[in-house]
Amino acid sequence: MIAQPKLSSDLGFGFYEPTMEGFDKNEEVPFPTKSVLGRNILLNWGVYYEFFSNARIGYSSFTSVEIGKMKFQNSSPVFIRSLKYRLFPLETFFRWRSKIEINFTLAPIWGRGRITVETTPGEKTDDWNELLNSFGDSDPMGDMGSSDAMINDWIGYSGMIGIRYYLTSRIGLDFKAGFLNNSYDRKSWKLFNKKDIIGPELEINELPIFSFKIIYGIK
Amino acid sequence: MKIILLPLFYFGLLFGQDSLKVEIDPCSDPLLILARKNGIKAVGVINIFKYRKLVKACEKQGGELVVQQIELQDFERDYRKSKTMASWTSTYSVCVFIIMTYYFIGLGTATE
Repeated sequence: MIAQPKLSSDLGFGFYEPTMEGFDKNEEVPFPTKSVLGRNILLNWGVYYEFFSNARIGYSSFTSVEIGKMKFQNSSPVFIRSLKYRLFPLETFFRWRSKIEINFTLAPIWGRGRITVETTPGEKTDDWNELLNSFGDSDPMGDMGSSDAMINDWIGYSGMIGIRYYLTSRIGLDFKAGFLNNSYDRKSWKLFNKKDIIGPELEINELPIFSFKIIYGIK
Repeated sequence: MKIILLPLFYFGLLFGQDSLKVEIDPCSDPLLILARKNGIKAVGVINIFKYRKLVKACEKQGGELVVQQIELQDFERDYRKSKTMASWTSTYSVCVFIIMTYYFIGLGTATE
C-alpha cells in the first residue's frame, strides 16, 4: 500500500442558496420560517476509492433538512422537508505541493425531495389536501396510507474544483467550489398511490455550491 | 529430611529469581518497519492504535528522528506518486475546468 489513500471517507458541510418560493411565498399555508441551517447548509458525507493513478470514484451525499410546524385551518402538523443530492463522482487529482492536492470532479446526480407531514390519522387526508392545494394541485387525495411522504426523484450533474490540504498522510481538509445542475420538475411528485402530483416551486436547477470536509484515509 | 526439604522448596518459590525482562525496542517493531517501508497507510485501521502507542514509545526512547522520517517519507512518497497526472486524467481535468469556467461565465452573464 503506497501513495494516496486507496479507500477514504469524508464528512463535512456544503453551502448553497436555493430559492423555495413554494414554501416562502405560499399564501395559503404558513410554513416554518426559513433558517440558514435548514435552507443553506447541506450535511455531506462520502466514500471514495482510488481505482486508477490520480483518479477516484465514489459516492457523496449532500442533504438539506428543514423541520417545523405548519399552520393549517384546523391543525398544526409537523412538517419535514428533505432534499438529498446523491452524487457519484469521478475525481482526478494531482499534488501541487507535498501536502497540497488539487482535484477536479464531475458527477451525475440522483436527487430526491421528500416532504412528510406528521398529522393525526383522522385529519390526515384533509391536511394533505390542504397542503397540496397550496402548491396548486386542485386534484386532492381521496385515500391515504398509514405513513406517507411526498417523494420526487430527479437527475442532474455536478462539476467541482477543489483544493485539499493533508494534515497527516491519512487526514486532510478539502474545500471545493462548483455547481449543481438538477432537472427538478414540480409536477412529478408521488404520494401514496398517486403520481404526477404538483409539488412546491423550487429553484434548485442551477446552483453554485461550496463544500468543506474532513477526509480520512481508511486504507 | 522432610523438615529440611520443605522449607527449602517454599523459600525457593518465594524468593525465586526474577524472570529476565527483555527490553524490546519499539522503534524496531515490525509495525514501524512496515510503516517506514511501505507508508503509514499500509499499517491499516485495525492496527492504528497500536501504531500510535509504538510511535509514542519510540519517541520516548529518543526515536523522534525515526518517527519524523516515517512521516516525511510518507508525504514524499505520496507527492512523487501523484505530482503528475497519468494517462487520461489530465484531459479529464481540463474538461472539468472548461465546464466550470463555462458554467460560471454563463451564471455571471445571466445575472447581469
